[in-house]
Amino acid sequence: MGRQVCIASAGFSEHASKRSDVNMPELVSEAIEDCLKKVPSVSVNDIDAFVNGNMPAFEGSNIPELWMTDWMGARNKPLMRITTGGTTGGSVAIGGYYTVTAELPGIDTVLAIAFEQQSQGDTSTGLASVAYGEISVLNTLGISYEQLTQLLSAGAAIGVASYQATNYMRRSKITEEDLARVVVQNRHNAANTWWAHLKMPDLTIADVLETPYISYPLRYGMVCPASDGACAMLFTTEEKAKDLCDIPVYVNGVGSVANESGVLGYNGSGAGQLDTSEQLGAMKSAELAFGQAGISFPRKEIDYAEVYSPFPNQELMWIERLGLFEENTASEMYETGVTALNGELPINCSGGVNSTNAIGASAMERPAVAALQIMGKASNQVPKTVHTAIGHGWGGIINLITMMVMSNKPTRKIK
Amino acid sequence: MSVKIKERESEVFKIINTTNHNINHYKNYNQKKFKIMTEKIVVANKGLVRAEFAFWVGRYMDKFFDAFENKKILGNKCPKCGDVFVPPRKICGKCNIMIPFDQNWVDLPDTGTLKNYTITYYKINDRASRKVKKPQIIGMVQIDGSNTAIIYRLLDIEPEEVKIEMKVKVVWEDKTKGDPSDIKGFVKI
Repeated sequence: MGRQVCIASAGFSEHASKRSDVNMPELVSEAIEDCLKKVPSVSVNDIDAFVNGNMPAFEGSNIPELWMTDWMGARNKPLMRITTGGTTGGSVAIGGYYTVTAELPGIDTVLAIAFEQQSQGDTSTGLASVAYGEISVLNTLGISYEQLTQLLSAGAAIGVASYQATNYMRRSKITEEDLARVVVQNRHNAANTWWAHLKMPDLTIADVLETPYISYPLRYGMVCPASDGACAMLFTTEEKAKDLCDIPVYVNGVGSVANESGVLGYNGSGAGQLDTSEQLGAMKSAELAFGQAGISFPRKEIDYAEVYSPFPNQELMWIERLGLFEENTASEMYETGVTALNGELPINCSGGVNSTNAIGASAMERPAVAALQIMGKASNQVPKTVHTAIGHGWGGIINLITMMVMSNKPTRKIK
Repeated sequence: MSVKIKERESEVFKIINTTNHNINHYKNYNQKKFKIMTEKIVVANKGLVRAEFAFWVGRYMDKFFDAFENKKILGNKCPKCGDVFVPPRKICGKCNIMIPFDQNWVDLPDTGTLKNYTITYYKINDRASRKVKKPQIIGMVQIDGSNTAIIYRLLDIEPEEVKIEMKVKVVWEDKTKGDPSDIKGFVKI
């Protein structure tokens, strides 16, 4: 069922809170340039198809994929836009993988591009389209519209992440200091990543704990920035990838599962769950991807992980739910340095979403960084050899959880 | 149940009524097919939702608009196929090559050819008085020496006088600021 797929390259644009020096297509073309620079024998003309995506409505630019067609080199070529909220990037990467594995005639090399230029628009207005679905529920509960901003959309996405945080903290008995430790590791890692946004090489736990709360237990210093940036990944066949690069990265398994349905439920459909840190969707997504990749003991077999964590509690939660650590042990791993750059299982050495969040691109930057770590070409390269790595994406409480398992060997079970 | 905002509904209705065209068959079409559900107003949001969006023009178009301040039109030329872009752009999609920012700039005249046009009886930027007294003509103009078209209003001309392929000239604002509004429109020459 489908041929083997390899990642031949991945690239990034420089990320910052305001990239006003470039327009949206120019920003995307920067990531493509960086991606193709690493595979000198490939030019834009050699790409057979394109998959593209960003968050709908965040920038207020309609059909951006058509605006940037020429800037991507997609003129007269198949082009598809995928947009699944926060996991857009993860879905676009999976779209690139599917396009190659499908064995379509004449389509061997596919460029997947995800981007976001948040400084163009109002992210909270974009998120309002999500919050509006919950207005009817709020009113049934006797909560007036005026109070909506104080409840759900308290500081936008943080309003929902704080429920996950408190649930997780109660379960695993961690403190705010444990959360701050995750942030410090991420921001230190970001300082060594050329394209990252929030670089803070001297940040301390005390610094983080001094910042004010946005929504308990998440403080200003703990949350991700809003970035402008783009990411590109080059997917191709096994044969072509062997010619293009020294270490082709095989995509051995993918998964995309959703189980949450909002805090109060979309259009009044109910929450569907009581504990938002349970994350059955992440567990199922990991199970699917690991199953395809033939991984039975993720803790032993995975050498590197990039997880989607705009908020530090999520990083702890994901690495447990994805099977990398035992339940309620994640914060210890940060304390003992297991997850550090030179640790046994390094996590988010790019600084993660916590340091750079161009939303549409974020979930693709995870597999992109993981693939570069396997190739040995990452910006903040881990000292040990990475054989197998994962890239994970989360898309808000009403969206998918994407997974991509990559390795330097083909281990895919489905043939 | 459907959530409907009362005010919005009446406004839409008003706009439909102001047109002189017969829209009755559309109305009937809408009502024929589906069962009408009972309506219950759950929330009537009479406030305005502010959605402030803009877009960064990038370095190439920034230089283009800056030149408006001196009443000049700039284009850039693809080094391979020779196409001249107005407004200038980073990449020529036909050749898939980058046009370097510091090269290939072309000074263009403020005259051009009308390639296409439309006549409109409504304004889009003024909700209070959408209907215009005098029809507006909006045209696609190919600046002489370029291979693309820009869209602006045609000034001081009656609809029946407009001809495709006629020569036109830019009318600049007296005080230019370096943004798209520096061009008032085009007139026939």
